[in-house]
Amino acid sequence: MVDQKTFDPYDMFKKFSDQWEKQANDFIKGSSNNPEFVSYSRLTSDTQARYLEFFKKNQEFFANQWNVPTKADLSNVAKLAIQTEEKLDSLEEQLWKLQDSVDSSNKEMESITEVSRDIIKLVKQLKKEQTISKKELEEVKQLKSNLQEVKSELAEIHSLKEEILILKELMGKNIDTKAKQEQNLAVTSK
Amino acid sequence: MATETLNNNTIPSFDFEKEMTRWNEFSNAINGPELSEGHTPRHAIWKKNKATLWHYPTVEKKYDVPVFIVYSLINRPTILDFAPGTSVIGGLVNSGYDVYLLDWGIAGYEDKDITLGDYVVDYIKKGVGRALRHSGADEVSVVGYCLGGTLAAMYAAIADEPIKNLVCAAVPIDYSVPAMPEKWAEGLKEGAFNIDRFIDVYGLIPPVYIEAMFRSITSPIYYSPYVTLLTRANDKRFVEKWRRMNQWTKGHVPLTGEAFRQISNDLMKENKLVKGEFTIRGNKVDLGKIKSNLLVVISKNDNLIPQGQSLPLMDLVSSEDKTHQLVEAGHASLALTGKLAGILNSWLCDRSNH
Repeated sequence: MVDQKTFDPYDMFKKFSDQWEKQANDFIKGSSNNPEFVSYSRLTSDTQARYLEFFKKNQEFFANQWNVPTKADLSNVAKLAIQTEEKLDSLEEQLWKLQDSVDSSNKEMESITEVSRDIIKLVKQLKKEQTISKKELEEVKQLKSNLQEVKSELAEIHSLKEEILILKELMGKNIDTKAKQEQNLAVTSK
Repeated sequence: MATETLNNNTIPSFDFEKEMTRWNEFSNAINGPELSEGHTPRHAIWKKNKATLWHYPTVEKKYDVPVFIVYSLINRPTILDFAPGTSVIGGLVNSGYDVYLLDWGIAGYEDKDITLGDYVVDYIKKGVGRALRHSGADEVSVVGYCLGGTLAAMYAAIADEPIKNLVCAAVPIDYSVPAMPEKWAEGLKEGAFNIDRFIDVYGLIPPVYIEAMFRSITSPIYYSPYVTLLTRANDKRFVEKWRRMNQWTKGHVPLTGEAFRQISNDLMKENKLVKGEFTIRGNKVDLGKIKSNLLVVISKNDNLIPQGQSLPLMDLVSSEDKTHQLVEAGHASLALTGKLAGILNSWLCDRSNH
């Protein structure tokens, strides 16, 4: 008995309201779900539209007579403002495109500069190598001339050797002739 | 003696002060000034006509792919940043996503000729481009809620921008499944309602008609929220929540006539989006061209968008990674409770380059 819930009139009112609302909505939906309601709502909306058209035309007519701008005039002005905004937007977008292309060209330029730096480095290195090669070539030339000198000296030595050989032969012949002459002398003296 | 005790326990004593507070709170909640909106820090990065592209920077960025939210055309997107703790946008921002919201603003009479195609090409497409540029991201996740989901799907089908993920929550796609009473739907298809004339006269559909349309579909008699408020008027947190909810519910915005013409004629009457016959500036919108990862979020208790209107999107797209999720929620409570933030985060986290 102690756990008995306190009676709350608002709670009861809420339960009753929820139930009533649901039943009323179901009733409305049920009673309007027929072709008659559809054709009736068309009739009412058409009547409403006809009267609105009538008022609108009259309003436009009198506004024109009194030289007062209408809703349509104001909307035309607003449309001009919107068009200007759109043009500004498209200009901004074009500027972005331009900025993007400038950025990409800058990047390309940077890469070109880097490549040319590399090329300059390479050319410098090549120059160094060329001077080294020149020096080496001179040394080789020097070596060649030295070698030629050595060669000519060798050739001279070779001819000297031959002369010596000839001399040797001549001397050998002289010795033989002398020996023969001595033998002949000895034979004659005997 | 026992009866006396029972009566003492069950019949409440009349507390004059409590009742005064109750009725004061009730009166203030109904007649009081509007509450401040937008709780998550944000700044505008682009404005076009009445629309604003808001950026909600994340506190600690965890994901490379930003989230771009497209909301419905008929109501304010404040429901996505409803209250601290239950904010969808706040939840995403705190989870590490950069969030962009395309707020349509309030259309004026001069906007009466704006079509759904204009909204897709001039607003969503450009907005996504600007969000991508602003964030410096290579890809984007597009999230559409309600009619915003339909627009997001249309955009994803014609987009040149890199859309990594597409999320459509409570989205109407297949209008062959009616949300309204059967005979009304038949009447609409057979041209029993003269909507074109209505649009020609009004140009801009007033918010009061938008509200009446949705009330007639969901609940023509609508006073139970006021009874609930009266019952719980002493609960300050509830009253504040109720005021925010009421502010949003009553905050319908005008719909441009041409957009309404397309919704009623091309979508509701002829179901052109599903048939692949809907065109934007002369180009057919083929949902089969959607290849991004897709999540379709469906509320089980949605009176406005039945499951059958959202589900066909799963079969219409060409996405390899596609999934749908049924959530125990209503059309508005999906966002109101902040549930959507958790659902989005758990699906997007693996698909947003952590």
